[in-house]
Amino acid sequence: MSRLNGLVPAALARPFTAIGGVLFLIAAMLPWATFILNDGPYPEKSTLQFFDAPFELTGFRWHLLLFGVLAVIVTFAPVRGKERVLRSFGWGGLLIGVIGALFIAGKGGGIGAITAADGATALGSIVAIVGGALLVLGASANGLGDIPEWPTSLFGWTGMKQRLEAWVVLLIAFAGVLWLVAQTLTAGGIGGAAFPYAGPVFLAFLGFAGGLIGALHGVGVTRWVSQLSEKHRPFSIVVLLLCAFALPFPFTGAGSQYWMQVAATIGVYAATAIGLNIVVGLSGLLDLGYVAFMGIGAFVAANLSGVAASALGWNLPFPLAALIAAVVAGIFGAIVGSPTLRVRGDYLAIVTLAFGEIFSRAAQNNIGDLTGGASAMPGIPPVTMFGTAFNEPIKLFGAQLPSGVLYYFMIVLVVGLVMAVFANLKNSRMGRAWIAIREDEDAARAMGIRTGKAKILAFLVGATLAGLAGAIFVHKLGTASYDSFKFLESVTLLAAVILGGMGTIPGAVLGASLLFVLPEKLREFSDYRLFVFGLALVLIMRFRPQGLVPDRIRRAEFAGETAEGKSIEEIEEQAVLEQEQADREPEAPAAPKEGRP
Amino acid sequence: MTTSRLEVPGSVRIVAGVAVVGVFLWLTDALRKLVDGGFTLLLQQTANGIVLGATIGLIALGYTMVYGIIQLINFAHGEVFMVGAFGGLAVYRWVLPESVRGDWYISLPAMLLGGVIVAVVIAVLMERFAYRPLRNAPRLAPLITALGVSVALQEAIRLWFPDAASAQPFPRVFIDAQVDLGPIELSASQVLLIVVSVVLAVLLQTYISRSRMGRAMRATSQDHDTARLMGINPDRVIVLTFVMGAALAGVAGVLYGSNINSVGNDIGFQNGIFAFTAAVLGGIGSLRGAVIGAFIIGLIKTLGGQYLPGGTQYDYIWIFVVLILVLVFRPQGLFGEAERVRA
Repeated sequence: MSRLNGLVPAALARPFTAIGGVLFLIAAMLPWATFILNDGPYPEKSTLQFFDAPFELTGFRWHLLLFGVLAVIVTFAPVRGKERVLRSFGWGGLLIGVIGALFIAGKGGGIGAITAADGATALGSIVAIVGGALLVLGASANGLGDIPEWPTSLFGWTGMKQRLEAWVVLLIAFAGVLWLVAQTLTAGGIGGAAFPYAGPVFLAFLGFAGGLIGALHGVGVTRWVSQLSEKHRPFSIVVLLLCAFALPFPFTGAGSQYWMQVAATIGVYAATAIGLNIVVGLSGLLDLGYVAFMGIGAFVAANLSGVAASALGWNLPFPLAALIAAVVAGIFGAIVGSPTLRVRGDYLAIVTLAFGEIFSRAAQNNIGDLTGGASAMPGIPPVTMFGTAFNEPIKLFGAQLPSGVLYYFMIVLVVGLVMAVFANLKNSRMGRAWIAIREDEDAARAMGIRTGKAKILAFLVGATLAGLAGAIFVHKLGTASYDSFKFLESVTLLAAVILGGMGTIPGAVLGASLLFVLPEKLREFSDYRLFVFGLALVLIMRFRPQGLVPDRIRRAEFAGETAEGKSIEEIEEQAVLEQEQADREPEAPAAPKEGRP
Repeated sequence: MTTSRLEVPGSVRIVAGVAVVGVFLWLTDALRKLVDGGFTLLLQQTANGIVLGATIGLIALGYTMVYGIIQLINFAHGEVFMVGAFGGLAVYRWVLPESVRGDWYISLPAMLLGGVIVAVVIAVLMERFAYRPLRNAPRLAPLITALGVSVALQEAIRLWFPDAASAQPFPRVFIDAQVDLGPIELSASQVLLIVVSVVLAVLLQTYISRSRMGRAMRATSQDHDTARLMGINPDRVIVLTFVMGAALAGVAGVLYGSNINSVGNDIGFQNGIFAFTAAVLGGIGSLRGAVIGAFIIGLIKTLGGQYLPGGTQYDYIWIFVVLILVLVFRPQGLFGEAERVRA
């Protein structure tokens, strides 16, 4: 949003941000809705009291209050990179205000609900929006500074002490991540008619989380932590896994059966999205039929697990069934990938789409009595290992964990495995070959990369991972239906990868989480889900094609920057200037610099 | 595209060999069905295929024109066709007074006009706000945008066109009569569809090869920058391309609706894919190829559904098989680069 830079004179920057912060404080105290929406049978529980009572601090009011206080402090404190911090607070608060305003105005009967009606005033959301706008404008007045670099050790320690310090920092950081994940998962509660606030509360929380993360990024913390975790990689991985395993325990607040189910579903799609990321993100081969591989894995696993509707009637233990499912999906991946030898770009996307449609049609028609057709394949037994069925509650470390938690644990392990595969492949010879093919296939070929092999391998690996995810998916669900593996699912997975950022792990996980959590939270608006989804795809490609967590190289590609984040234009200008200087110097070695126009 | 043959791995060859044997077995089965079914059935299915091909052809022209000029697979073009059909339906429901609905010479042109206007408006908006900003973006970006537009349009109709959550009855506006063609019969609106399709395709071809604007389009498709130097405004040419494609799709939508007597918000995706396949089969960028490809696709669908194993449940699949085979073995299509008209 560099267009905002300098819209406001530099002298006004500080007053603007200070007033913005104060407006946040005021907005947190004001009522947000003028009346209680409680007329008519539906939705009976949907009073807007939640937004109504002033001085009663609910979630989003706390967030605004926090942003306001921090904004005022940061405005006057000597903080490096404060422009970015203030701007993030501004966007976060603005988002909270806009979501509240839209929701209340939409549900409460128009503009009157957020201004003044029937003698009551409720300007909270508008004040928040104005405050956010002031903050954003004020923070952008001087242009955005560089993100400050932090030293490896804050205290100048070395050796063992430095390592200990890094460990403590990482522990705190990952605990923070765990807190944020648990909060995000549960924010707003379960969506649906019973609790109509779920959607707006969740979205407002996203605004808060986004503002917070943006501020941390602006002050340089996230980069510092990621450098530390890069340096202490094994330690980080262990802590991250521990955090993931800690999520179901009662102290996080996310340990109910429902949230575990949601988390497990997200995990399955995240694993699939990472697999797709190999094909699309690393190798640049657009695959529009990817979910078919998940479907193949799913149906293979279902047929091998003793389902009544199956023509095979085999009953293998789950690990073996999942393995075979992954291998079969991988073989199909290689077959589907073989046209990549001759077809490129858009045409390849269409070939994969055609394969996906053939799969979905064949499954719908119950091909070979292997897919159950329109009546699906119900009755897939739950995974049972070590004498425990995975859909039962368990007791661990004295805590009662809800049913389904074992699936969650298994999926965490699988996602971890998939991440490890991805990370290692990305940095391997093959990964570099894939990236080279993505950037320029002919050049890659000229460098001696066997592009045909590399591309088929990308499809094979991606499909294998999808097949594995599909096997887990149907065992968790209990039913394998062609309906779960249609074109739209492929597009959704693709959107997850693009939204998150092609070619990165956190991107794929973040994208999958957002795209599969949002429908859970916004059930009340589920009718509009796909419409918004389509629009969102258009808007992302228009305004942030590199995704939320961009890959260094890809970001450079989209923004005209080098991998280090320098603008190519700037570098070229620099080069021209240096060239001019070099040309000039022999003629007038003593010419002072001021002499130049 | 000059991949050497040496690189095709053995596994691919084995798969191809198995496929050939399978195809042979299927074809013998198909032949048996053909003999059993008799000549009239064959003729009737051929006629049905040509009717389907006429619809697809009108859509395929839009695909091929847009691709020819900006190398974009306008995935949302099928939805333009769908929106056109709903535009015609809207005119019938809310614009035409009861008294004239029965007179086809009033209602049909009015509905065609309505369908064309709606389709054109949508296409122009789409070009302006979704595709134009991405003209210099990496190649996959516009394709993904097109997917987004397609989903959004489908959903918009479902959400905001009254009752469109399920398929809507579409009036049979044209003369309700059967045309007797020897052993087979076609309805009057089917004949109309074929005639309109062929006439419009010929007109379009003439326009592009003869008129001043057509020359500008051909110039732009070859090189935007050089075209600009020659005093052509590429943006205008591109918008015009979208407009022409959308108008054809709008006509196709209304005629398709009055022929099938039912429209749903999902007709765009399926027919759009058929049309895209037709455009690729004919050689994308070639107008003549798109029309001929469309008739071939129509015949594959109806004849495949009749004679190939699996029946109509699998007719959809044969089209995709053809699509894959064409893309893999002859990506330039039947009317390849050499004859490429490029819009």
